[in-house]
Amino acid sequence: MTAPADTVVAGPSSEGPAPAARTRGLRKTYGRTVAVDHVDLDVPEGAVLGMLGPNGSGKTTTIRMLLGLVRPTEGEVELLGHRMPDRAAEALPDVGALVEGPGFHPFLSGRENLLRLAAAEPRLTSARMAGAVDDALERVGLTRAGGRRYRGYSLGMKQRLGLAGALLVPRRLVVLDEPTNGLDPAGTREIRSVIADLHRDGVTVLVSSHLLAEVEATCTHVAVLNDGALVAQGELAELLESESPALEVSTPDTTAALETLRAAHLTARPAPDGVRVELTRATAPDVIAMLAGAGVPIHEATRSRTGLEDLFARLTQDSEESPTWTP
Amino acid sequence: MDTLTAPARRTAPTSRLVRAELRWIFRRPRSLAVLALLGVIPVIMGVALTVSGSPEPSTGGAPGDDQGAGLLSSALGNGLVLPVAALVMTLGMLLPLASAMSAADALAGETSTGTLRGWLLAPVSRGRLLAIKAIGVATFTLAAVGVIAVIGTLTGLVINGTDTLATMSGTTLPLTDALGRVALAAGWVTIQLWAVAAVALAISACTEHPMVVLASVLGGLIVFTVLGNLDALSWLHPFLITESWWSVIDVLRDPIPFDDLTNGLLVALCYLLIGGSLSYSLLVSRDG
Repeated sequence: MTAPADTVVAGPSSEGPAPAARTRGLRKTYGRTVAVDHVDLDVPEGAVLGMLGPNGSGKTTTIRMLLGLVRPTEGEVELLGHRMPDRAAEALPDVGALVEGPGFHPFLSGRENLLRLAAAEPRLTSARMAGAVDDALERVGLTRAGGRRYRGYSLGMKQRLGLAGALLVPRRLVVLDEPTNGLDPAGTREIRSVIADLHRDGVTVLVSSHLLAEVEATCTHVAVLNDGALVAQGELAELLESESPALEVSTPDTTAALETLRAAHLTARPAPDGVRVELTRATAPDVIAMLAGAGVPIHEATRSRTGLEDLFARLTQDSEESPTWTP
Repeated sequence: MDTLTAPARRTAPTSRLVRAELRWIFRRPRSLAVLALLGVIPVIMGVALTVSGSPEPSTGGAPGDDQGAGLLSSALGNGLVLPVAALVMTLGMLLPLASAMSAADALAGETSTGTLRGWLLAPVSRGRLLAIKAIGVATFTLAAVGVIAVIGTLTGLVINGTDTLATMSGTTLPLTDALGRVALAAGWVTIQLWAVAAVALAISACTEHPMVVLASVLGGLIVFTVLGNLDALSWLHPFLITESWWSVIDVLRDPIPFDDLTNGLLVALCYLLIGGSLSYSLLVSRDG
């Protein structure tokens, strides 16, 4: 046992909004390379948090430290209220994880591979191991392929078997590192629906990805890593809202609309179907009332939320290699 | 522990993990191939000795060959000597490599396939993980030695019959005594191999390339043999585990001289201790 003094078994926390996972001042260096630097991450209980970042931004290293696989150089990690990695024995039974791709033995069948994992699950009694494995296989749609050797699995099947391993027992937190890698669109949809099911059951999900559409479709919260640093985190809706909101007004009379808005010193420019108004100095209802009052005909008005893609591009643009050579 | 069903249990029962580990080892095609290969060796030795008749006495070559040739000639027409000769011959290279392979797969191999992470995340604490891995490697080593001892004994008895159990001192042993001698040799060889495996496990704990472990053990055996042949380094010889390996032949003498066997046992225990503690400290500090 790693923790000698852990006599108290902490049950599910009933002490308010303790985050499912939390890091403070997290830092990891490999030699002189800084992989993760001062990351203060909060994964609220019940959230589906998408961890975004370009390749090499420290997503996987952060996840590995969260799970106690890697000891941080500096900083603290709390997983389900337990200090990691020292109290891994308390936290990890309630955590399912798929990290750095699925890892299984090629000469064993998918089912045998899961049985080997199940043997190590503290929450499973020996009698329930086989049943839990069958349930997990069914959940990811591998029931028929379960008896085949892992060697012959397609990339998508391997990924789904990895997911099955993470879902062998009911979890409080599920950590998925690039779960849709190598999956076709149908497989991606399945993963999404698994995540949605988990979310509905109140399970906290931490999913890292560089596929923005996937995160936008499934996540309630986002954390953006860039170059080892956490550059943004919070509720997805809020983060997108805070990004220079605008109102798209669809009108046949673009000229009148632009004149009205510019007379009110609002920034507006022609858009394909009408005008686009920056909502920096006026709210959407104000703008609509103003245009209606001026007799501008309006077909419809929609607040255009900045896409996650724009937000992500802005937050991580520094990492795009700018030419360092000068003529 | 198996009947404990408390939901708050934080670790899986050790017996269940050991069973899963053994199933994994003995389901692996490579393990079975190695065991089969080792099983063929005493048969080939027995048949070859019988067919070729009296082997030529040694004509120079590396030290050890003299003993080897003498041993082989005694194995001719002798049911007792064959299994011990097979153990001595394979102890030089094949058995240590089989142990090293098992140790290489246990940690380095499992890291390279990403499967070690599954157990670390379950979680299985690293100390317990090492204990389970060590039990697995030790069991496989015992199986490898057992295959040679059992098949060697059977081959010797089939070819030569039960009335040929002569010791190298000229006395003849009853069957039960002879079997006891073979078991003693097998046990002693197993402990020597556990020592090799412990060191291999330590190497396995700090790499994710199984081949590195095999290459290190192979290289180590060669270096030890070379050092053992340099008389100028005779002060070093008591520390070389390979130095005592020929003394397993002593079980064929009557009465058995235990001095070298005991010495070899102590050296092996030292390697076992060092390899074991090194494995532990490397595995605990390693990134998963």
